[in-house]
Amino acid sequence: MDRADGVTSRRQAPRNRLQAPGPELRPTAPTTGTVACPRCKRRFVAERYAADLNVCSECGHHGVVGAAQRIAQLADPNTAETLVVEVGDRDPLGFDDGVPYPQRVVRARERTGLHEAFLTARASLAGNPVVLACMDFEFLGGSLGSGAGEIFARACELAIAEQRALVAVCTSGGARMQEGIASLAQMARCSAAVAEVIAARLPYISILGDPCFGGVTASFAVQSDVIIAEPGARIGFAGGRVIEQATHDKLPDGFQTAEFLLAHGMVDAVVERGRLRDTVGTLIRIYSGRA
Amino acid sequence: MSTTIETTERERIAFAAVELARNPERPRALQVISAITSGWTELRGDRLFGDDRAVVGGPARLGGRSVMVIGQEKGTDPMTRALHNFGMPHPEGYRKAVRLMRQAEKFSMPVLCLVDTPAAHAGIGAEERGQAWAIADALLCMLGLRTPTVSVVLSEGGSGGALALALADRVLALENAVYTVAPPETCAAILYRDAGQRARAAAALRPGVETAHRIGLVDELIPEPPPGAHAHAPLVIAAIRGAVIRNLDELCEIPIDELVAQRQRRYREAGG
Repeated sequence: MDRADGVTSRRQAPRNRLQAPGPELRPTAPTTGTVACPRCKRRFVAERYAADLNVCSECGHHGVVGAAQRIAQLADPNTAETLVVEVGDRDPLGFDDGVPYPQRVVRARERTGLHEAFLTARASLAGNPVVLACMDFEFLGGSLGSGAGEIFARACELAIAEQRALVAVCTSGGARMQEGIASLAQMARCSAAVAEVIAARLPYISILGDPCFGGVTASFAVQSDVIIAEPGARIGFAGGRVIEQATHDKLPDGFQTAEFLLAHGMVDAVVERGRLRDTVGTLIRIYSGRA
Repeated sequence: MSTTIETTERERIAFAAVELARNPERPRALQVISAITSGWTELRGDRLFGDDRAVVGGPARLGGRSVMVIGQEKGTDPMTRALHNFGMPHPEGYRKAVRLMRQAEKFSMPVLCLVDTPAAHAGIGAEERGQAWAIADALLCMLGLRTPTVSVVLSEGGSGGALALALADRVLALENAVYTVAPPETCAAILYRDAGQRARAAAALRPGVETAHRIGLVDELIPEPPPGAHAHAPLVIAAIRGAVIRNLDELCEIPIDELVAQRQRRYREAGG
Protein backbone atom coordinates (compact mmCIF):
# COMPACT_ATOMS: atom_id res chain seq x y z
CA MET A 1 0.00 0.00 0.00
CA ASP A 2 1.40 3.36 -0.98
CA ARG A 3 0.64 6.45 1.00
CA ALA A 4 0.78 9.98 -0.24
CA ASP A 5 3.05 11.03 2.61
CA GLY A 6 5.82 8.75 1.45
CA VAL A 7 5.19 5.97 3.96
CA THR A 8 5.00 2.68 2.18
CA SER A 9 4.21 -0.54 3.86
CA ARG A 10 4.33 -4.14 2.98
CA ARG A 11 3.20 -7.26 4.67
CA GLN A 12 6.16 -9.41 5.46
CA ALA A 13 6.63 -13.04 6.30
CA PRO A 14 5.10 -13.88 9.68
CA ARG A 15 7.38 -12.32 12.22
CA ASN A 16 4.94 -12.06 14.99
CA ARG A 17 5.48 -15.43 16.51
CA LEU A 18 7.27 -15.55 19.80
CA GLN A 19 10.50 -16.66 18.29
CA ALA A 20 13.51 -15.18 16.60
CA PRO A 21 12.85 -13.60 13.23
CA GLY A 22 14.20 -15.42 10.21
CA PRO A 23 17.84 -15.12 9.19
CA GLU A 24 16.90 -12.74 6.37
CA LEU A 25 16.03 -10.16 9.02
CA ARG A 26 18.86 -10.55 11.47
CA PRO A 27 21.66 -12.41 9.76
CA THR A 28 23.71 -12.59 12.95
CA ALA A 29 20.94 -13.45 15.39
CA PRO A 30 21.67 -17.01 16.41
CA THR A 31 18.77 -19.31 15.65
CA THR A 32 20.77 -22.47 16.00
CA GLY A 33 23.39 -23.58 18.48
CA THR A 34 23.45 -22.21 21.99
CA VAL A 35 23.52 -18.77 23.59
CA ALA A 36 24.74 -17.83 27.05
CA CYS A 37 22.89 -15.57 29.49
CA PRO A 38 25.12 -12.47 29.74
CA ARG A 39 24.65 -12.38 33.53
CA CYS A 40 24.66 -15.93 34.90
CA LYS A 41 26.41 -17.46 31.87
CA ARG A 42 23.98 -20.37 31.80
CA ARG A 43 23.74 -21.71 28.24
CA PHE A 44 20.49 -22.23 26.39
CA VAL A 45 19.52 -23.71 23.07
CA ALA A 46 19.09 -20.59 20.92
CA GLU A 47 15.54 -21.47 19.96
CA ARG A 48 14.51 -21.89 23.57
CA TYR A 49 16.12 -18.59 24.62
CA ALA A 50 14.26 -16.78 21.82
CA ALA A 51 11.00 -18.47 22.79
CA ASP A 52 11.61 -17.11 26.31
CA LEU A 53 11.89 -13.60 24.74
CA ASN A 54 15.63 -13.51 25.50
CA VAL A 55 14.90 -13.66 29.21
CA CYS A 56 17.06 -16.06 31.19
CA SER A 57 14.83 -18.69 32.80
CA GLU A 58 17.54 -19.22 35.41
CA CYS A 59 18.33 -15.71 36.73
CA GLY A 60 15.63 -13.59 35.05
CA HIS A 61 18.12 -11.38 33.20
CA HIS A 62 16.46 -9.55 30.32
CA GLY A 63 18.77 -9.82 27.31
CA VAL A 64 19.01 -7.44 24.36
CA VAL A 65 16.20 -7.77 21.82
CA GLY A 66 16.44 -6.52 18.24
CA ALA A 67 13.76 -4.28 16.77
CA ALA A 68 12.31 -6.94 14.48
CA GLN A 69 12.16 -9.41 17.34
CA ARG A 70 10.49 -6.76 19.52
CA ILE A 71 7.76 -6.30 16.98
CA ALA A 72 7.29 -10.06 16.83
CA GLN A 73 7.07 -10.20 20.63
CA LEU A 74 4.52 -7.42 21.01
CA ALA A 75 2.26 -7.78 17.97
CA ASP A 76 -0.58 -10.31 17.79
CA PRO A 77 0.20 -13.25 15.48
CA ASN A 78 0.11 -12.39 11.78
CA THR A 79 -0.82 -8.74 12.29
CA ALA A 80 2.47 -6.84 12.00
CA GLU A 81 3.22 -4.96 8.81
CA THR A 82 6.59 -3.30 9.00
CA LEU A 83 6.69 0.17 7.50
CA VAL A 84 9.33 0.94 4.95
CA VAL A 85 10.16 4.59 5.43
CA GLU A 86 12.43 6.00 2.76
CA VAL A 87 14.95 8.22 4.47
CA GLY A 88 17.88 9.48 2.45
CA ASP A 89 21.40 8.79 3.63
CA ARG A 90 22.77 11.65 5.63
CA ASP A 91 26.28 12.67 6.51
CA PRO A 92 25.96 16.36 7.40
CA LEU A 93 29.52 16.62 8.75
CA GLY A 94 31.36 14.36 6.31
CA PHE A 95 32.32 12.48 9.44
CA ASP A 96 35.30 10.16 9.36
CA ASP A 97 36.98 8.68 12.43
CA GLY A 98 39.04 6.15 10.50
CA VAL A 99 35.91 4.63 9.01
CA PRO A 100 33.71 7.09 7.06
CA TYR A 101 30.31 7.43 8.74
CA PRO A 102 28.30 6.30 5.65
CA GLN A 103 30.37 3.12 5.68
CA ARG A 104 29.53 2.55 9.35
CA VAL A 105 25.86 2.84 8.46
CA VAL A 106 26.24 0.33 5.63
CA ARG A 107 27.94 -2.11 8.00
CA ALA A 108 25.20 -1.66 10.60
CA ARG A 109 22.63 -2.37 7.91
CA GLU A 110 24.41 -5.54 6.87
CA ARG A 111 24.76 -6.68 10.45
CA THR A 112 21.18 -6.01 11.55
CA GLY A 113 19.21 -6.24 8.31
CA LEU A 114 17.62 -2.91 9.31
CA HIS A 115 17.63 0.37 7.42
CA GLU A 116 18.03 2.47 10.56
CA ALA A 117 18.06 2.24 14.36
CA PHE A 118 14.25 2.43 14.36
CA LEU A 119 11.90 -0.16 12.91
CA THR A 120 8.20 0.66 12.88
CA ALA A 121 5.12 -1.41 12.20
CA ARG A 122 1.38 -1.18 12.00
CA ALA A 123 -0.01 -3.99 14.13
CA SER A 124 -2.62 -5.27 16.48
CA LEU A 125 -1.48 -5.54 20.11
CA ALA A 126 -3.73 -7.66 22.34
CA GLY A 127 -6.50 -6.74 19.93
CA ASN A 128 -5.75 -3.01 19.88
CA PRO A 129 -4.78 -1.17 16.71
CA VAL A 130 -1.31 0.27 17.34
CA VAL A 131 1.76 1.67 15.68
CA LEU A 132 4.90 0.08 17.09
CA ALA A 133 8.16 2.03 16.96
CA CYS A 134 11.08 -0.07 18.15
CA MET A 135 14.71 0.88 18.49
CA ASP A 136 17.55 -1.53 17.84
CA PHE A 137 20.61 -1.19 20.07
CA GLU A 138 22.70 -3.25 17.66
CA PHE A 139 22.32 -0.53 15.03
CA LEU A 140 25.09 1.93 16.01
CA GLY A 141 24.09 1.71 19.65
CA GLY A 142 20.50 2.60 18.87
CA SER A 143 21.74 6.14 18.34
CA LEU A 144 19.33 8.83 17.26
CA GLY A 145 20.33 10.33 13.93
CA SER A 146 18.19 12.18 11.42
CA GLY A 147 17.13 8.98 9.67
CA ALA A 148 15.94 7.37 12.91
CA GLY A 149 14.27 10.61 13.98
CA GLU A 150 12.36 10.86 10.72
CA ILE A 151 11.19 7.24 11.00
CA PHE A 152 9.87 7.88 14.52
CA ALA A 153 8.13 11.08 13.40
CA ARG A 154 6.45 9.22 10.54
CA ALA A 155 5.29 6.56 12.99
CA CYS A 156 3.63 9.30 15.06
CA GLU A 157 1.94 10.67 11.96
CA LEU A 158 0.70 7.24 10.94
CA ALA A 159 -0.76 6.75 14.43
CA ILE A 160 -2.64 10.04 14.05
CA ALA A 161 -3.80 9.34 10.49
CA GLU A 162 -5.19 5.94 11.48
CA GLN A 163 -6.18 6.81 15.06
CA ARG A 164 -3.95 4.13 16.53
CA ALA A 165 -2.22 4.09 19.89
CA LEU A 166 1.53 4.63 19.77
CA VAL A 167 3.86 2.15 21.48
CA ALA A 168 7.58 2.92 21.44
CA VAL A 169 10.33 0.60 22.63
CA CYS A 170 13.35 2.73 23.45
CA THR A 171 16.90 1.46 23.81
CA SER A 172 19.68 3.79 22.86
CA GLY A 173 22.99 5.27 23.83
CA GLY A 174 21.57 8.70 22.91
CA ALA A 175 22.33 11.12 20.10
CA ARG A 176 24.35 9.94 17.10
CA MET A 177 27.53 11.94 17.58
CA GLN A 178 28.61 11.36 13.96
CA GLU A 179 25.78 13.65 12.81
CA GLY A 180 26.68 16.38 15.29
CA ILE A 181 24.12 19.12 15.82
CA ALA A 182 21.71 17.46 13.34
CA SER A 183 21.35 14.60 15.80
CA LEU A 184 20.54 17.08 18.59
CA ALA A 185 17.81 18.47 16.34
CA GLN A 186 16.17 15.03 16.38
CA MET A 187 15.18 15.60 20.00
CA ALA A 188 13.22 18.58 18.70
CA ARG A 189 11.81 16.69 15.74
CA CYS A 190 10.68 13.69 17.80
CA SER A 191 9.24 15.94 20.51
CA ALA A 192 7.29 17.88 17.88
CA ALA A 193 5.92 14.60 16.55
CA VAL A 194 4.92 13.49 20.06
CA ALA A 195 3.24 16.87 20.60
CA GLU A 196 0.96 16.03 17.66
CA VAL A 197 0.13 12.62 19.15
CA ILE A 198 -0.70 14.34 22.44
CA ALA A 199 -2.88 16.90 20.63
CA ALA A 200 -4.71 14.04 18.87
CA ARG A 201 -5.36 12.54 22.33
CA LEU A 202 -4.09 9.11 21.35
CA PRO A 203 -2.56 6.88 24.01
CA TYR A 204 1.24 6.82 23.88
CA ILE A 205 3.06 4.17 25.89
CA SER A 206 6.82 3.89 26.02
CA ILE A 207 8.78 0.83 27.05
CA LEU A 208 12.36 1.50 28.12
CA GLY A 209 14.83 -1.33 27.59
CA ASP A 210 18.47 -1.67 28.59
CA PRO A 211 20.15 0.71 28.04
CA CYS A 212 18.36 4.00 27.42
CA PHE A 213 20.32 7.25 27.77
CA GLY A 214 20.97 10.76 26.57
CA GLY A 215 18.80 12.56 24.08
CA VAL A 216 16.43 9.63 23.67
CA THR A 217 15.55 9.52 27.36
CA ALA A 218 15.49 13.32 27.43
CA SER A 219 12.82 13.48 24.74
CA PHE A 220 10.26 11.04 23.34
CA ALA A 221 11.09 8.12 25.65
CA VAL A 222 9.57 9.94 28.63
CA GLN A 223 7.00 12.16 26.91
CA SER A 224 4.50 9.31 26.96
CA ASP A 225 1.32 8.81 28.99
CA VAL A 226 2.77 5.71 30.60
CA ILE A 227 6.46 4.87 31.03
CA ILE A 228 7.21 1.19 31.50
CA ALA A 229 10.74 -0.06 32.20
CA GLU A 230 12.04 -3.58 31.83
CA PRO A 231 13.57 -5.18 34.94
CA GLY A 232 17.20 -4.23 35.44
CA ALA A 233 17.26 -1.79 32.52
CA ARG A 234 19.75 1.05 32.96
CA ILE A 235 18.05 4.34 32.17
CA GLY A 236 19.15 7.94 32.56
CA PHE A 237 20.52 11.09 30.99
CA ALA A 238 24.26 10.95 31.64
CA GLY A 239 25.90 7.54 31.87
CA GLY A 240 27.17 6.30 35.21
CA ARG A 241 30.79 6.24 34.06
CA VAL A 242 30.57 9.85 32.90
CA ILE A 243 29.14 10.89 36.27
CA GLU A 244 31.79 9.01 38.22
CA GLN A 245 34.58 10.60 36.19
CA ALA A 246 33.08 14.09 36.39
CA THR A 247 32.18 14.14 40.09
CA HIS A 248 34.36 11.38 41.63
CA ASP A 249 31.28 10.39 43.63
CA LYS A 250 30.63 6.75 44.38
CA LEU A 251 27.44 5.71 42.64
CA PRO A 252 24.74 4.28 44.91
CA ASP A 253 23.80 0.60 44.53
CA GLY A 254 21.45 -0.01 41.66
CA PHE A 255 21.92 3.57 40.41
CA GLN A 256 19.90 4.30 37.25
CA THR A 257 18.27 0.87 37.14
CA ALA A 258 14.58 0.52 36.36
CA GLU A 259 13.90 -0.32 40.01
CA PHE A 260 15.86 2.74 41.20
CA LEU A 261 13.83 4.97 38.87
CA LEU A 262 10.58 3.39 40.05
CA ALA A 263 11.54 4.21 43.64
CA HIS A 264 12.32 7.81 42.60
CA GLY A 265 8.98 8.24 40.86
CA MET A 266 10.36 8.42 37.31
CA VAL A 267 8.62 5.43 35.74
CA ASP A 268 5.10 4.08 36.16
CA ALA A 269 5.94 0.40 36.36
CA VAL A 270 8.66 -2.20 35.97
CA VAL A 271 7.18 -4.98 33.90
CA GLU A 272 8.73 -8.30 32.94
CA ARG A 273 9.05 -8.83 29.22
CA GLY A 274 6.62 -11.74 29.21
CA ARG A 275 3.88 -9.49 30.60
CA LEU A 276 4.46 -6.48 28.37
CA ARG A 277 1.87 -7.30 25.73
CA ASP A 278 -0.90 -7.89 28.29
CA THR A 279 -0.01 -4.82 30.34
CA VAL A 280 0.21 -2.47 27.36
CA GLY A 281 -2.91 -4.00 25.82
CA THR A 282 -4.93 -3.49 28.99
CA LEU A 283 -3.82 0.13 29.29
CA ILE A 284 -4.68 0.98 25.68
CA ARG A 285 -8.08 -0.67 26.04
CA ILE A 286 -8.85 1.38 29.14
CA TYR A 287 -7.61 4.67 27.67
CA SER A 288 -9.67 3.99 24.55
CA GLY A 289 -12.79 3.58 26.68
CA ARG A 290 -13.34 -0.05 25.72
CA ALA A 291 -14.17 -2.92 28.03
CA MET B 1 53.50 13.92 6.97
CA SER B 2 51.84 16.96 5.44
CA THR B 3 48.42 15.39 6.11
CA THR B 4 49.22 15.08 9.81
CA ILE B 5 50.26 18.71 9.99
CA GLU B 6 47.16 19.88 8.15
CA THR B 7 44.90 17.81 10.38
CA THR B 8 46.57 19.13 13.48
CA GLU B 9 46.23 22.67 12.22
CA ARG B 10 42.55 22.12 11.45
CA GLU B 11 42.02 20.72 14.94
CA ARG B 12 43.88 23.62 16.52
CA ILE B 13 41.67 26.13 14.70
CA ALA B 14 38.51 24.23 15.59
CA PHE B 15 39.35 24.07 19.26
CA ALA B 16 40.43 27.71 19.30
CA ALA B 17 36.87 28.53 18.19
CA VAL B 18 35.51 26.55 21.16
CA GLU B 19 37.90 28.39 23.49
CA LEU B 20 36.83 31.72 22.06
CA ALA B 21 33.21 30.82 22.84
CA ARG B 22 34.30 29.93 26.37
CA ASN B 23 36.14 33.21 26.92
CA PRO B 24 35.11 34.29 30.43
CA GLU B 25 34.82 37.93 29.36
CA ARG B 26 31.94 37.25 26.97
CA PRO B 27 28.58 38.70 27.99
CA ARG B 28 26.78 36.51 30.52
CA ALA B 29 23.03 36.12 30.97
CA LEU B 30 22.68 38.29 34.09
CA GLN B 31 24.82 40.99 32.49
CA VAL B 32 22.61 41.00 29.38
CA ILE B 33 19.42 40.99 31.44
CA SER B 34 20.49 43.95 33.56
CA ALA B 35 21.64 45.87 30.48
CA ILE B 36 18.66 45.38 28.18
CA THR B 37 15.67 45.13 30.53
CA SER B 38 14.23 47.25 33.30
CA GLY B 39 12.50 46.09 36.45
CA TRP B 40 13.72 42.52 36.11
CA THR B 41 12.61 40.74 39.26
CA GLU B 42 14.19 37.37 39.87
CA LEU B 43 11.78 34.60 40.75
CA ARG B 44 13.32 31.55 42.29
CA GLY B 45 12.56 27.90 42.89
CA ASP B 46 10.81 25.13 41.02
CA ARG B 47 8.14 24.63 43.75
CA LEU B 48 9.06 20.94 43.82
CA PHE B 49 12.53 20.51 45.25
CA GLY B 50 14.77 23.53 45.20
CA ASP B 51 16.27 26.46 43.37
CA ASP B 52 18.88 25.93 40.70
CA ARG B 53 21.15 28.94 40.31
CA ALA B 54 22.41 27.80 36.88
CA VAL B 55 19.07 29.04 35.57
CA VAL B 56 17.84 32.51 36.49
CA GLY B 57 14.52 33.98 35.50
CA GLY B 58 11.81 36.51 36.12
CA PRO B 59 9.54 39.13 34.55
CA ALA B 60 10.88 42.41 33.20
CA ARG B 61 10.20 45.23 30.76
CA LEU B 62 11.94 45.23 27.39
CA GLY B 63 11.28 47.54 24.44
CA GLY B 64 7.90 48.66 25.72
CA ARG B 65 6.68 45.16 26.55
CA SER B 66 6.45 42.96 29.59
CA VAL B 67 8.50 39.84 28.97
CA MET B 68 9.59 36.76 30.89
CA VAL B 69 13.38 36.49 30.75
CA ILE B 70 15.05 33.17 31.54
CA GLY B 71 18.78 32.64 31.28
CA GLN B 72 21.51 30.11 31.90
CA GLU B 73 24.17 31.87 33.96
CA LYS B 74 27.78 30.69 34.06
CA GLY B 75 29.11 33.21 36.56
CA THR B 76 31.94 35.69 36.13
CA ASP B 77 34.50 34.89 38.83
CA PRO B 78 35.45 31.77 40.79
CA MET B 79 32.82 32.40 43.46
CA THR B 80 29.90 33.12 41.13
CA ARG B 81 30.96 30.38 38.74
CA ALA B 82 30.67 27.86 41.59
CA LEU B 83 27.40 29.44 42.75
CA HIS B 84 25.88 29.07 39.28
CA ASN B 85 27.45 25.61 38.77
CA PHE B 86 29.29 26.85 35.66
CA GLY B 87 25.95 27.20 33.90
CA MET B 88 25.16 23.51 34.11
CA PRO B 89 21.53 23.18 35.23
CA HIS B 90 20.02 20.52 37.45
CA PRO B 91 16.44 19.33 36.82
CA GLU B 92 15.18 22.10 39.13
CA GLY B 93 16.52 24.67 36.68
CA TYR B 94 14.48 23.29 33.81
CA ARG B 95 11.40 22.91 36.02
CA LYS B 96 11.75 26.53 37.15
CA ALA B 97 12.05 27.57 33.51
CA VAL B 98 8.87 25.65 32.64
CA ARG B 99 7.06 27.23 35.60
CA LEU B 100 8.03 30.70 34.43
CA MET B 101 7.12 29.95 30.81
CA ARG B 102 3.64 28.81 31.89
CA GLN B 103 3.32 32.00 33.88
CA ALA B 104 4.33 34.05 30.83
CA GLU B 105 1.67 32.24 28.80
CA LYS B 106 -0.93 33.10 31.43
CA PHE B 107 -0.11 36.81 31.24
CA SER B 108 0.42 36.79 27.45
CA MET B 109 4.02 37.86 27.92
CA PRO B 110 6.61 36.84 25.32
CA VAL B 111 9.48 34.70 26.60
CA LEU B 112 13.17 35.49 26.08
CA CYS B 113 15.63 32.67 26.81
CA LEU B 114 19.36 33.30 27.05
CA VAL B 115 21.18 30.04 26.35
CA ASP B 116 24.67 29.58 27.76
CA THR B 117 25.61 26.13 29.02
CA PRO B 118 28.27 23.54 28.23
CA ALA B 119 25.68 20.85 29.05
CA ALA B 120 23.09 19.85 31.62
CA HIS B 121 24.74 18.82 34.88
CA ALA B 122 25.83 15.18 35.06
CA GLY B 123 25.55 13.99 38.65
CA ILE B 124 23.85 11.59 41.02
CA GLY B 125 21.26 14.05 42.31
CA ALA B 126 20.45 15.29 38.82
CA GLU B 127 19.74 11.72 37.72
CA GLU B 128 17.77 10.84 40.87
CA ARG B 129 15.52 13.82 40.29
CA GLY B 130 15.01 13.11 36.61
CA GLN B 131 17.32 15.26 34.50
CA ALA B 132 16.07 13.60 31.30
CA TRP B 133 12.44 14.02 32.38
CA ALA B 134 12.92 17.71 33.16
CA ILE B 135 14.55 18.37 29.76
CA ALA B 136 11.93 16.36 27.85
CA ASP B 137 9.19 18.33 29.59
CA ALA B 138 10.84 21.67 28.78
CA LEU B 139 11.05 20.65 25.10
CA LEU B 140 7.32 19.90 24.98
CA CYS B 141 6.54 23.08 26.90
CA MET B 142 8.47 25.28 24.46
CA LEU B 143 6.93 23.55 21.44
CA GLY B 144 3.37 24.18 22.58
CA LEU B 145 3.70 27.47 24.48
CA ARG B 146 0.95 29.87 23.44
CA THR B 147 3.03 33.02 23.55
CA PRO B 148 5.87 34.27 21.31
CA THR B 149 9.35 33.02 22.20
CA VAL B 150 12.86 34.15 21.32
CA SER B 151 16.08 32.39 22.35
CA VAL B 152 19.58 33.80 22.10
CA VAL B 153 22.62 31.50 22.20
CA LEU B 154 25.16 33.73 23.93
CA SER B 155 28.31 31.60 24.01
CA GLU B 156 27.88 27.88 24.48
CA GLY B 157 24.87 25.81 23.50
CA GLY B 158 25.70 22.30 24.60
CA SER B 159 23.50 19.21 24.36
CA GLY B 160 19.86 18.74 25.30
CA GLY B 161 20.70 20.99 28.23
CA ALA B 162 20.79 23.93 25.81
CA LEU B 163 18.06 22.70 23.46
CA ALA B 164 15.60 22.67 26.37
CA LEU B 165 15.63 26.50 26.32
CA ALA B 166 16.12 26.90 22.57
CA LEU B 167 12.98 25.61 20.82
CA ALA B 168 11.78 29.15 20.25
CA ASP B 169 9.94 30.88 17.40
CA ARG B 170 13.17 32.70 16.64
CA VAL B 171 16.60 31.49 17.67
CA LEU B 172 19.39 34.04 17.49
CA ALA B 173 23.05 33.34 18.18
CA LEU B 174 26.16 35.44 18.63
CA GLU B 175 28.34 34.59 15.66
CA ASN B 176 31.26 33.25 17.72
CA ALA B 177 29.06 31.05 19.87
CA VAL B 178 29.14 27.26 19.54
CA TYR B 179 26.12 24.97 19.45
CA THR B 180 26.87 21.28 19.74
CA VAL B 181 25.27 17.92 20.42
CA ALA B 182 27.59 17.61 23.43
CA PRO B 183 30.75 19.40 24.61
CA PRO B 184 33.80 18.36 22.53
CA GLU B 185 35.23 16.60 25.61
CA THR B 186 32.13 14.38 25.89
CA CYS B 187 32.03 13.74 22.14
CA ALA B 188 35.68 12.66 22.25
CA ALA B 189 34.98 10.33 25.16
CA ILE B 190 32.11 8.74 23.24
CA LEU B 191 33.66 8.64 19.77
CA TYR B 192 37.32 7.97 20.54
CA ARG B 193 37.00 6.77 24.14
CA ASP B 194 39.40 9.55 25.13
CA ALA B 195 38.22 12.94 26.40
CA GLY B 196 41.73 14.25 25.70
CA GLN B 197 41.03 14.19 21.97
CA ARG B 198 38.67 17.16 22.33
CA ALA B 199 40.40 19.13 19.55
CA ARG B 200 39.90 16.24 17.15
CA ALA B 201 36.23 16.05 18.17
CA ALA B 202 35.86 19.81 17.77
CA ALA B 203 37.25 19.63 14.24
CA ALA B 204 34.92 16.75 13.32
CA LEU B 205 31.78 18.26 14.86
CA ARG B 206 31.87 21.75 13.28
CA PRO B 207 30.65 23.32 16.52
CA GLY B 208 30.18 26.84 15.14
CA VAL B 209 26.65 28.24 15.16
CA GLU B 210 26.69 28.45 11.35
CA THR B 211 26.23 24.65 11.31
CA ALA B 212 23.18 24.99 13.56
CA HIS B 213 22.00 27.79 11.27
CA ARG B 214 22.35 25.57 8.22
CA ILE B 215 20.25 22.73 9.69
CA GLY B 216 17.50 25.02 10.98
CA LEU B 217 18.10 25.26 14.72
CA VAL B 218 19.30 28.87 14.50
CA ASP B 219 17.63 31.63 12.42
CA GLU B 220 19.88 34.61 12.75
CA LEU B 221 23.51 35.27 13.63
CA ILE B 222 24.33 38.43 15.54
CA PRO B 223 27.68 39.82 14.32
CA GLU B 224 30.53 40.37 16.77
CA PRO B 225 33.17 42.99 16.01
CA PRO B 226 36.66 41.41 15.94
CA PRO B 227 38.21 39.93 17.99
CA GLY B 228 34.85 39.01 19.52
CA ALA B 229 32.15 39.82 22.07
CA HIS B 230 34.62 39.59 24.97
CA ALA B 231 36.28 42.79 23.77
CA HIS B 232 33.09 44.64 22.85
CA ALA B 233 30.48 43.65 25.40
CA PRO B 234 28.44 46.91 25.33
CA LEU B 235 28.26 46.92 21.51
CA VAL B 236 27.27 43.27 21.34
CA ILE B 237 24.69 43.61 24.10
CA ALA B 238 23.14 46.55 22.23
CA ALA B 239 23.00 44.38 19.10
CA ILE B 240 21.29 41.61 21.09
CA ARG B 241 18.73 44.10 22.38
CA GLY B 242 18.01 45.38 18.89
CA ALA B 243 17.66 41.92 17.38
CA VAL B 244 15.42 40.65 20.19
CA ILE B 245 13.08 43.64 20.02
CA ARG B 246 12.86 43.46 16.22
CA ASN B 247 12.00 39.76 16.35
CA LEU B 248 9.45 40.25 19.14
CA ASP B 249 7.84 43.06 17.10
CA GLU B 250 7.41 40.65 14.19
CA LEU B 251 6.25 37.69 16.27
CA CYS B 252 3.67 39.68 18.21
CA GLU B 253 1.92 40.46 14.89
CA ILE B 254 1.30 36.77 14.18
CA PRO B 255 -1.94 35.21 15.51
CA ILE B 256 -1.00 32.79 18.27
CA ASP B 257 -2.58 29.69 16.68
CA GLU B 258 -0.58 30.28 13.54
CA LEU B 259 2.59 30.97 15.51
CA VAL B 260 2.38 27.70 17.47
CA ALA B 261 1.57 25.72 14.30
CA GLN B 262 4.54 27.32 12.49
CA ARG B 263 6.82 26.52 15.41
CA GLN B 264 5.77 22.87 15.57
CA ARG B 265 6.13 22.45 11.80
CA ARG B 266 9.54 24.03 11.89
CA TYR B 267 10.91 21.69 14.57
CA ARG B 268 9.23 18.68 12.95
CA GLU B 269 11.57 19.34 10.00
CA ALA B 270 14.67 20.40 11.93
CA GLY B 271 17.90 18.56 11.27
CA GLY B 272 17.22 17.30 7.74
